[in-house]
Amino acid sequence: MNGGPALVSIMRQGSTLIASVHTALNDSELVRFEHDLVDQIGEHRSRGVIIDVAALDVIDSFAALTLRRIAEMARLRGAQTVLVGIQPEVAFTMVRLGMGTGAVPTALDLEEGLALLAEQGSHHPRPDDPEA
Amino acid sequence: MSASERFGDSLGHTAEDVADLIPMVRRIVYARVGSHPSAEDLVQETLTRVLSAASTVEPGMLEPYAIVTARNVVSSLWRDADRKNRNQHRLVDLSAPEPPEKQVVLEEEQSAMATALARLDERERRALLDHEVDGTDTHALAARHGTTAGAVAAQLNRTRARLRVEYLLAIEHVDPPTDRCRPVLIALSSGDQRRQREVQAAQHLLECEPCARLSQPLLERGQQRDDCLRIPVSSDADIVSARRAARELATRLTFGATDLTVIATAVSEVCRNIVRFAGSGEVVVELLEAPRRGIQIVARDGGPGITDVDRALGDGFSTYGGLGLGLPGVRRLMDEFAIASEPGHGTTVTMTKWEGTDRERPT
Ligand SMILES: [Zn+2]
Repeated sequence: MNGGPALVSIMRQGSTLIASVHTALNDSELVRFEHDLVDQIGEHRSRGVIIDVAALDVIDSFAALTLRRIAEMARLRGAQTVLVGIQPEVAFTMVRLGMGTGAVPTALDLEEGLALLAEQGSHHPRPDDPEA
Repeated sequence: MSASERFGDSLGHTAEDVADLIPMVRRIVYARVGSHPSAEDLVQETLTRVLSAASTVEPGMLEPYAIVTARNVVSSLWRDADRKNRNQHRLVDLSAPEPPEKQVVLEEEQSAMATALARLDERERRALLDHEVDGTDTHALAARHGTTAGAVAAQLNRTRARLRVEYLLAIEHVDPPTDRCRPVLIALSSGDQRRQREVQAAQHLLECEPCARLSQPLLERGQQRDDCLRIPVSSDADIVSARRAARELATRLTFGATDLTVIATAVSEVCRNIVRFAGSGEVVVELLEAPRRGIQIVARDGGPGITDVDRALGDGFSTYGGLGLGLPGVRRLMDEFAIASEPGHGTTVTMTKWEGTDRERPT
């Protein structure tokens, strides 16, 4: 994002986008990530989004709100979001802080996240998807 | 013979030299006070002081002299707000330039500081100045030098310890009589007890009169230096640096992974309040020994303040539109939490986590 190593990578796998956060992000970087990801969801007409936050050692109120907002915007664009890799102590702290992940489903890791999406996708096919 | 005769006009610095320092002085001041309304006044005050002393500053020493002056001018602003707390956290305790008759003393102190800076080796000096002047955080410095933030922080602490020693030697006009003097004084200055034993500091102090004399102020300060961090906060990136620094310091106690995350998260929240609502401020993180072992975080700013603290601590109030974002959650995260706020005069949040108190940590 600023000439250094990538802070976040967004990969496409079929109709799913896999976004991996590689390091702690500050607020501006989180907002840029949000914009990039939402843009790509639209561009690729993705049906599922996995956000891997295993590298985040802190998810404070701003980060939690941003992740929830990404999921909500994805939903409005017809894509289901799963958060994966939230560290146990981070999850504990988010709850204490009063900032859970809201209605955003979570999974232990990438594999379980993909399984969860597959399961939910089969119940809710995207209406405008030609392959559905 | 007066100072200006001694150096002569050809050697003394000119107004042009001082003008060249303006961008650097601005950087120092703004890195510390951010968008504080007096920032530009502080820049001007610094330049005025540097200009008035320029002709007597030795060639090549104008830059360090300006750095020291800017730091003093800025810290005198903070001192007005909170004199007592500030004293523990300055690099070297330089007196406030209040009564005019103290001006001469102050200039002596500044030139001693300049001498001390010049005695550091180039790499140390560069890292310290990048950190102190430009506000480059330890992680950025670590990336630049291909090392870890912890190693950079430790190196910065050693550099500060050396700087304090060199400063004292310069201001007291002491030429250390033995080769052991500097290592002993630096070990005392850094508060590193293992190193103090290695260099047999106690024994040396019995044998060496100058070191015994100089050790007094070092011992008085050393205690608090090593387990206390002051982090200026005025940007998104500072929020991340502050919470990393707090976590790093907290690892010296026996906090578990959950407590470390809790501490980092609480610091993140209070820093964000500073950036969002006050523009700039600072966080002081300190390890406590008494009444119990723990970590205390004081976040203060000179912003608009919170009109209704009770309301800000109510959960419904924690929105991004209002003041007091996240404070109810932070209060739940920490063991002690206090907030003092005066509309128009800023907010101070003081919070503490004691060692070994988390009951609900996940296994
Ligand atoms: Zn000695």
